Amino acid sequence: MAMSLSNFLLPIALLASIVHCATVTHDFDIAWTYANPDGQQTRSVIGINGQWPVPPIVVTKGDQVIVNVKNSLGNESTSLHFHGLYMNRTTHMDGPTAVTQCGILPGSSFTYNFTVDQPGTYWYHSHERGQYPDGLRGAFIVHDPEDPHKDLYDEEIVITLSDWYHDLMHNLLASFISFANPSGAEPVPQAALFNDTQNLTVKIEPGKTYLFRMVNMGAFAAQYVWFEGHTMRIVEVDGVVLITAKNDTSTNFAFVGSMDQDLFDAVPDSLNPNVTGWLVYDDTKEKPAPKEIDAFEPFDDFDLVPYDKEELLDRVDRSITLDLKMDNLNDGANYAFFNDVTYVSPKVPTLYTVLSTGSNATNPIIYGSNTNSFVLAQNEVVEIILNNDDPGKHPFHLHGHAFQVVTRSADDAGFYDPSNTTTPSATPMRRDTILVRPNGHTVLRFRSDNPGVWLFHCHIEWHVSSGLIATIIEAPLAIQAQLSDRIPEDHWKACQDGDVPTKGNAAGNTFDLLDLRGENTSPGKIPAGFTARGIVALVFSCLAAFAGMGVIGWYGLKPVKNKTS
Amino acid sequence: MPNVFAVPVFFICFRECLETSIIVSVLLAFLKQTLGPEHDAAVHKRLVRQIWYGVGAGVFICLIICAGVIGTFYTAGRNTFDAAENIWEGVFAILASVIITLMGAALLRVSKLQDKWRVKISKVLEQKDSKLPIKGKLKSWSEKYAMFILPFVTVLREGIEAVLFIAGVGLGLPATSFPLAVLCGLGAGALVGYLIYKGGNRTSLQIFLVVSTCFLYLVAAGLFSKGVWNLEQNAWVKIAGEGVAEAGSGPGSFNINKSVWHVDCCSPQDGSSGGWGIFNSLFGWQNSATYGSVISYNLYWLAVIVGFAFLGWKESKAGAAQNAEVTSDTSSGHEELAGKKTSEEGIVIGSAVREVVE
Repeated sequence: MAMSLSNFLLPIALLASIVHCATVTHDFDIAWTYANPDGQQTRSVIGINGQWPVPPIVVTKGDQVIVNVKNSLGNESTSLHFHGLYMNRTTHMDGPTAVTQCGILPGSSFTYNFTVDQPGTYWYHSHERGQYPDGLRGAFIVHDPEDPHKDLYDEEIVITLSDWYHDLMHNLLASFISFANPSGAEPVPQAALFNDTQNLTVKIEPGKTYLFRMVNMGAFAAQYVWFEGHTMRIVEVDGVVLITAKNDTSTNFAFVGSMDQDLFDAVPDSLNPNVTGWLVYDDTKEKPAPKEIDAFEPFDDFDLVPYDKEELLDRVDRSITLDLKMDNLNDGANYAFFNDVTYVSPKVPTLYTVLSTGSNATNPIIYGSNTNSFVLAQNEVVEIILNNDDPGKHPFHLHGHAFQVVTRSADDAGFYDPSNTTTPSATPMRRDTILVRPNGHTVLRFRSDNPGVWLFHCHIEWHVSSGLIATIIEAPLAIQAQLSDRIPEDHWKACQDGDVPTKGNAAGNTFDLLDLRGENTSPGKIPAGFTARGIVALVFSCLAAFAGMGVIGWYGLKPVKNKTS
Repeated sequence: MPNVFAVPVFFICFRECLETSIIVSVLLAFLKQTLGPEHDAAVHKRLVRQIWYGVGAGVFICLIICAGVIGTFYTAGRNTFDAAENIWEGVFAILASVIITLMGAALLRVSKLQDKWRVKISKVLEQKDSKLPIKGKLKSWSEKYAMFILPFVTVLREGIEAVLFIAGVGLGLPATSFPLAVLCGLGAGALVGYLIYKGGNRTSLQIFLVVSTCFLYLVAAGLFSKGVWNLEQNAWVKIAGEGVAEAGSGPGSFNINKSVWHVDCCSPQDGSSGGWGIFNSLFGWQNSATYGSVISYNLYWLAVIVGFAFLGWKESKAGAAQNAEVTSDTSSGHEELAGKKTSEEGIVIGSAVREVVE
């Protein structure tokens, strides 16, 4: 079961002074295969080139990355999103289906081609509806020859964390968004994984310092992680952790990932929320069982300060308020809403609406009434106020940007009130994903300096499927200037193959762009009171009762006929 | 309201108590007629006392049985039922509805009931007079204490019936809903029995009976509908799981595919808005009506209409046949006269005796 980490220990080029501008090419044949990462059940997983776990993509800052995707799934279309990458000038390579591209149909091919100009620990995953938890997610590591921390560590280890389901997402989604699940209880995972396995061993040499790159690429569960007997130092978010090794080889040390069960609706007794790995100093020594801990004492990432000390964006040009709630629609299922609108994919991918509507592209209405679209002007300071009117934790992710986290409330703080808030840090933490606390709020700021169509969504895959998505259309005219006539032929072909329109507004209307008739919409609201059906039923019931009582009266007042003979 | 006053329990008590009091009233009237104080004060007093002793003993034994049954249900049984609460509530609501429906028809013919008992009692007393071949201590004892045994057995029978009905119907109801309903039921039954004894206006009594029967059937229709609703709710809980209870009266508390109407307010389950609970107990109101609950409510009334129409038709047919018969051999006025006389004069023991003789 235990799997060596050597697959993931990658040669690290520490050739600092050489400027890298290589081209990294991957051919990904995406197809179903089988795997049993938790030792409990063999299941179908989505692998790449017949392999699962899928390979990490490792590049150096400045590299051009080309990923040639072939969809051999047979029964599902797919797409790839490179999580955390800014995709500057290449928003069409960002990956979400129906936003910046059409889904890659079974049998089709599609090429992602972009330049990575940012160091760090990222990941890539399918951005087709609810697909990546079936296995199509892997680490995406960008090395930096000029890493300011490069002298602090000797070796680098990538650890991915994930929750794991035994059933296919297709089935789980069908039961999740269903009249039979009115409370919107998310499926509870069956296991937690380290590097897509359990009981992972990591070979450690005494005296060395290790850079641990950690990515949670799960569908649902946040995880607490701790190393026994070692101290960690955070040197980068999202994801690079530094630990200082012990000089002692007498024992091995456990490290544990533990799923945050706050969001789990009903936790089965059989669920082990923890996954254990060991830092192995000496193969011959036993691997001790992890110690029990009384309580989690998580580090609050809000207090982190970026290395570049970028100052707070304090002059806000544009403020967007998003009120999050969960509610039911008239199909009985539970949906997630921003400002009372649950996201439904437009008929025309939003990017293609931008590119085909000329000067109308600045009008948010044309992007549809179920897409939560916001059009940003270029080079503004944009503020997103996110109010969480839900008792769950939600990790929000913005494509195309790292945002400053200006405010993040404690649990149950309610909606954001500008007159009643703490002074933000002068050098706030920047993230591409931020956890907003139950019934709390957060305020995020970024500069709209990256034209493109970017999604802002909860990264819990269940909530993506139930519509917790907003579309940010950043500098649409600049997008047109950058990308008109520069969308590759295979991107258009993906739409043609799937009969997806590529011109016009969200409804595919090219004449009257404000005419959204025929657009994709969510189910309707549940009627608040009596409908015609209810009134008819009530009237009939009353009539039946009166008729019945009439007959009783008639019978009861009839003279009683005594039996006489 | 459902928590403090169980309507079905009230009606069961009412009906059983009414029947008992009718019997007692018939007996008392009989004594009055045949052995009035002017005849033999001592004997009359002894017999009246016998009647009341019989009633008392019957009530006492009933109370013991009642305590036993309820004790068993609420200690041993209660928890087992909780797991499938909706099923039990549903089944017992339907059961209660059927019981009330059948009882209601009888209540409407309470004057008939009176005649029936008059006949029975007269028969017993007739036997006393007649010289039958069977003799012995037992017979002489039962003759001597007939005025005790008759009410005793009646009270016992009606009482046990009531206890079993209440146990069945009330299983889905909270224990707090019993006492008031039982007391009111017994009180109302006794009162109506007393009115009948006093021989009040027969017509107004009949109107009273019609009104109360209508009321009774409204309750039964509501119960029937509620029973079906409970069974559907049980199926829904099975589909949707624990979330149903969490949802309160909001979305998710009902199966939208089977919903006819749903209003977020006015839930009979919500303790704070008590009025809707009364509405629910009396008329089967649901803030979340299903196809099942609406259709069953209407079908119930359809069945009641058909049932009474049939009874009415049968009676008229029998009456017509009788009339024809009567007309053919004697005068047609006799029968009507007898009926009218009965209805106007209230308890006329003489007529009962005459009927028995016939």
